[in-house]
Amino acid sequence: MNEPAKEGSYSNRMVHTIHSEKLVLLVAIIIVFILFSSINKNFFTITNIINILVAASLVGLVAIGHTYLIIAAQNDLSPGSLAAFSGTLCALLVSLEIPFFPSILITLIAAAGVGLFNAWMVNKIRLDPFIATLVTQAIFRGFAYIICDGKPVAISDPSFLYLGKARFLQIPVSVWIMIIAIVVFGFILAKTKFGRSIYAIGGNKTAARLAGLNPQRIIVICFVMMGLLCGIGGIVFAARMNSGQPAANINLEFDSITAVILGGVSFTGGVGTMGGTVLGIILIQAFNTGLIMVNVPSFWQYVARGALLLFALTTDYLRKEKRKKNLLAASMRNA
Amino acid sequence: MKSMLEFRNISKYFPGVVALDNISFQASGGEVLALLGENGAGKSTLLKILNGDYQPDRGQYLLNGIEKHFRTPHEAIEDGVSVIYQERQILMELSVAENIYLGRMPCSKMGIINTRLANKMAQKIISDFGLPISPQTKVKDLSIAYQQMVEIMKAYSRENLKVICFDEPTASLSDSEIQSLFGVIRKLKREGKIIIYVSHRMEELKEIADKTTVLKDGRYVATVTKGEVSEKELIKMMVGRDLGNVYKDLDRNKSIGDVLLEVKNVSSNYVKENSFHLRRGEILGFSGLVGAGRTELMRAIIGADHMRTGEVFLEGKKIVNKSPKDAMDNGIVMVPEDRKTQGILSNLSVKGNINISLLDKNSNKIGIMNPEKEKKSAADGIHEFHIKTPSPDKNALELSGGNQQKCIVARWIATHPKVLILDEPTKGIDVGAKSEFYQMICGFAKKGLGVILISSELPEVIGLSDRIIIMKSLKIVGEVSHEEATEDRILSMSMIGGNNVHE
Repeated sequence: MNEPAKEGSYSNRMVHTIHSEKLVLLVAIIIVFILFSSINKNFFTITNIINILVAASLVGLVAIGHTYLIIAAQNDLSPGSLAAFSGTLCALLVSLEIPFFPSILITLIAAAGVGLFNAWMVNKIRLDPFIATLVTQAIFRGFAYIICDGKPVAISDPSFLYLGKARFLQIPVSVWIMIIAIVVFGFILAKTKFGRSIYAIGGNKTAARLAGLNPQRIIVICFVMMGLLCGIGGIVFAARMNSGQPAANINLEFDSITAVILGGVSFTGGVGTMGGTVLGIILIQAFNTGLIMVNVPSFWQYVARGALLLFALTTDYLRKEKRKKNLLAASMRNA
Repeated sequence: MKSMLEFRNISKYFPGVVALDNISFQASGGEVLALLGENGAGKSTLLKILNGDYQPDRGQYLLNGIEKHFRTPHEAIEDGVSVIYQERQILMELSVAENIYLGRMPCSKMGIINTRLANKMAQKIISDFGLPISPQTKVKDLSIAYQQMVEIMKAYSRENLKVICFDEPTASLSDSEIQSLFGVIRKLKREGKIIIYVSHRMEELKEIADKTTVLKDGRYVATVTKGEVSEKELIKMMVGRDLGNVYKDLDRNKSIGDVLLEVKNVSSNYVKENSFHLRRGEILGFSGLVGAGRTELMRAIIGADHMRTGEVFLEGKKIVNKSPKDAMDNGIVMVPEDRKTQGILSNLSVKGNINISLLDKNSNKIGIMNPEKEKKSAADGIHEFHIKTPSPDKNALELSGGNQQKCIVARWIATHPKVLILDEPTKGIDVGAKSEFYQMICGFAKKGLGVILISSELPEVIGLSDRIIIMKSLKIVGEVSHEEATEDRILSMSMIGGNNVHE
């Protein structure tokens, strides 16, 4: 008789749990800000926040791709190489007197092609995504050096340089690109057929296929999308640096994956939201920028990043255990 | 003091399943307690709790009055509780003595193993048991019966052995071997050990068991002492009710229509060429032993596996299913056998699970979902199939097995199929939910669907089907009508093949 009331409180508790996960992240972000600004007064200033956002713009784009891929129970280790390759390639094409827009187009086609190749390895030779994309990570870092003979390619094209400098409402274009991408891809993930399919194949690929979905096609789209995001990110990054740098963006995928897992995407797939990823991006970029600003030696920064990833994976594990426990408790009640 | 084992209100849950529900029983030293129950009654879960493999979610486990919380089988063994499993847990390449003293071989202070002493100690136990084997023999050279004896001796060699459990110990033994096993059990009994004996062979229980505890669907039914009740009564306790009536009371479809599905020479990498047809409103049973190729044939038809040869006609028109999606669009859907790995999307809610095949229907032209439509189609499914869930947003794994299965059926029926393939639809579902499923299946036939029912439970396939096709070794070997179907006939066709039966 009091069943509805009891269930009501239970759903409230569920809602509460979800909120509390995001809340923990928010608190973590606040702690990071307080901590770093207490050490360095310049940390919590408009200029620095914009700097953080600019620095986050590339990892942000990649994190969007990782959100899709990891929810679909895939992964990608090639973004750092691919972004460097794309930036170098685009700078090179422009330096060969090819106009800026066709250069962008060619670069993006190449980047999408790499994504397609990643998907092909996963779908057709059944490689684990981790290993498959380790292949492209190595190959395209190599190609980034090969095409420019190892030397950064300076950019002199004014429209290319403008991309790195332009601001709209005080905020740099690179940040706007990230914001627009987050909104668009967040909407697709949460509200569309394609989004639903990603969660389904991440939860159980076999069952999803038997239920009439096409997991291979979904995986292709996700990898190609990641390729394009890396391409765009790489081009914008090159514009900001005034040159295409083949050695750039090492550890990009590392930061991106950390951000996504921190944001609540489960490493084993099927669970996560774009909102969580946004918080994860802010946290990791504030953390990375802060480490530099409070003069943590760069070798130690690696250790700190590793620790942060371990922290992210541990919280992911604890969340999963909690879900399992809730599930068990629920089936005990329903029994 | 006599040893005493007691379970007080022990319960064990798995997502969607109550494996053990409030089980209490006692066993004392010098006594053989038999555990009796059908498959899925909870016997093996109970043994796993006994030996620390599982931990109970509720209740108390008392040994000599002390509450036990074994976290691993190792802790249970250290405390004198050993389980002898069907699968031998011994190391084939080691000798009898090495197996008996595995992990605690006698050795010198330097850590050097004293094989001679081990053999001597082992020989004493072997003589105690009156067995004609040498401690130096490698276990792989022994017969299965003696391998089992080695396991028992291994448990026996521990000074503090109090409880020894046998899980279907006679499954692969000959009659004389069974007798020598019983001899050993009686010896253990004389020495005051508590013996738990799991089996469903009535004649053995009559011979060896002092008390019998009956379990059914994870619940405790009764404990009876030797000779108290007849075999028949024991079976009745085990089964709980006569399933015969369930099938007789079904409201079967009597008007079977024209041919709906025609399958011609279909084969894949996993099944040979086969042909059959299915009529509108018909329930077509597929019987056969596990591995006979029933599931594989259906998977080829719906495009889950690549169809190597053959053609499929639906309502007279040839259709090609390159993927389950094509089959679904053409009107053929399949509820897969293994709910956990092939059916339920464990990360999604009840709503998400029902709606996953309706993504096209519930979205607009550019692929944006319509939440209202999603809500409605989920509510319809929950209502139509009486899915017991507190809310559509609950994770599907929270539901009982039967309700999870209903979610998957609801998923498919919402696509308005013409042919519904059910692969072991009642596996792992409790008896009450089963009869509900049977009504549901008959209801589908009445609505004019063609239903293909793959089932390994003979009474089920006989009770429901209008026709039964029997498969053996990846081929269809015969067919019987509802009227002429008997368990004997179908079983002999599945094991020997069709021809012998026709003679």
